[in-house]
Amino acid sequence: METVSIALAFVIFFGSLILIFWEKINRSIVAIAGAVLMIGMGKILGFYNEELAVEAIDFNTLGLLLGMMMLVAMLEPTGFFEYLAVLAARASKGKPNRLFILLGIITTVLSMFLDNVTTVVLIAPVTILISEILGISPLPYLMSEALLSNVGGVATLVGDPPNVLIGSAAGLSFNDFLVYSLPIVLVSWAGALFLLRHLFKKDLAKRPRRVKAVMKLNPAETLNQPETARRILIVLGAAILFFFVHHALHIEPSLVALGAAAAALLWVQPDVQEVLKKVEWSILLFFGSLFVMVGGLEHSGALEMTVRLFDGAAGMNPILLGVVVIWIVAALSAVVDNVPITIALIPVIKGIGETGVDIAPLWWALAFGAGFGGSGTIIGSSANIIVATLSEKTRTPITSAIWIKRGLPVMLVTCAIASILYALAYPLF
Amino acid sequence: MNVTTCMKRHVVSIPASTTIREAAAIFVKKHIGLLPVVDKNDKPIGVIGIRDLLKLEMPDFVNFVLDVDFVHDFGAVEDTRPPAATLNKTVRSLMRPVITVEEDCGLLRAYSLMLQQNLHDIPVVSKDGKLIGIASRVDIGVTILKSWEKAE
Repeated sequence: METVSIALAFVIFFGSLILIFWEKINRSIVAIAGAVLMIGMGKILGFYNEELAVEAIDFNTLGLLLGMMMLVAMLEPTGFFEYLAVLAARASKGKPNRLFILLGIITTVLSMFLDNVTTVVLIAPVTILISEILGISPLPYLMSEALLSNVGGVATLVGDPPNVLIGSAAGLSFNDFLVYSLPIVLVSWAGALFLLRHLFKKDLAKRPRRVKAVMKLNPAETLNQPETARRILIVLGAAILFFFVHHALHIEPSLVALGAAAAALLWVQPDVQEVLKKVEWSILLFFGSLFVMVGGLEHSGALEMTVRLFDGAAGMNPILLGVVVIWIVAALSAVVDNVPITIALIPVIKGIGETGVDIAPLWWALAFGAGFGGSGTIIGSSANIIVATLSEKTRTPITSAIWIKRGLPVMLVTCAIASILYALAYPLF
Repeated sequence: MNVTTCMKRHVVSIPASTTIREAAAIFVKKHIGLLPVVDKNDKPIGVIGIRDLLKLEMPDFVNFVLDVDFVHDFGAVEDTRPPAATLNKTVRSLMRPVITVEEDCGLLRAYSLMLQQNLHDIPVVSKDGKLIGIASRVDIGVTILKSWEKAE
């Protein structure tokens, strides 16, 4: 009976993953159908049921994502993101290299605290505007924004969905990420920026034709709701302070995020319908459904079986094991969505832990692989897809071929830097 | 009253083989906003307007940035021109599907069609589908208003 359950749970889970990666059917639809099928089959075969499914959902992850999504949804219409980009344009005085670095820094810092997709969606249009009035190609800037937001997102607990998942599963705090992930990300980021400047050397050497036009952009006019922006930024700042101490105060990050969202809602009192419309419910549904499916996989006994396959891992040099994890996860993340990969690998890593291996460092390897791998291809991360789709509607579309030439080197260099630093810092993890 | 009472009977139209460069010259010479594209039987197969040509020169960012108030100077895009390769293409690649009214169409019906479809000029066709005239919002609007003079 157990083998039937395991086989069926496997078929449902991997069948859903294949459909998700095939992308002919919307991934949220596949995930919810798979989750329901898993519960139904689990009930028939007796390995899974509704209560177990609800237990399998990581509400900490969902709450953290929902809270941050609501905050961004309120911040978005204030024009704050345009404001920052226009400030960068003016500060660059129209010099391509300076503009490149400033926009890169802004995107990275924003993506460390906010969703990468939102950051890129809001910064990219102003980037196209700035480069058009300067008379230069937006391509290097757009691609770098996506790539640097992929890298920057790895630095914090809230920067990227895989981190939220890993943090919640491994019990890692916001500060753990600042101590263990941020330094490695900073070095990798600097490497990525250096490499990108080299890869786009020709484009960045082109002198802009109309620098004066950029100096006439008025940042104050981009802020159409300055008071709202001020309030939400204060709340966001307070939330970040709470993130620093959430572990010491025994508060889950989800409570901080939802608390901040509640405070901002109270203080700003926006049109709630409008705010909720901007929350990406399909992503939350996708996450929840994947949790339910992985829960079924766990209860069927399938994971224990796969873990036996990793018995070899126990005998492996632990540093080598971590580096292997970084590269395998990165290669997978380059071609498919890193969220299902992370959700599927979390129980596997826990399983490796049961064989007696110290898995604390492996969580970081998983985070680096999932985050940096996304840079490799045009479909590797949501941020890549966003800038590519936007650019298709412009005169300088970003093609797959261009991405391989510029993005893949970034993935290889950031993964290489992360591997080296991982090996060097291993005793500290 | 129907649309024939106010339409312009002298319509400038072009065949689909006209190049974009030639169409632009016709807009300039005739000082008009819309050119019906017709087949050899004079039946409309599409329209091309000044706005379709101007799209070729519009900066990309206007499609993404909802509010351009803060952009006081469009800079380099102010003096870009469409490349020669684009100008030498025929209007077939750029024309939109045509929405016409038949000659017996009432004025209010014609006007509301224009409002709903966001048209500034509407070609008028005969029963057998031939282009016989063109009416603008102003043509139709003032004709409707004229009837108010007789109102009590």
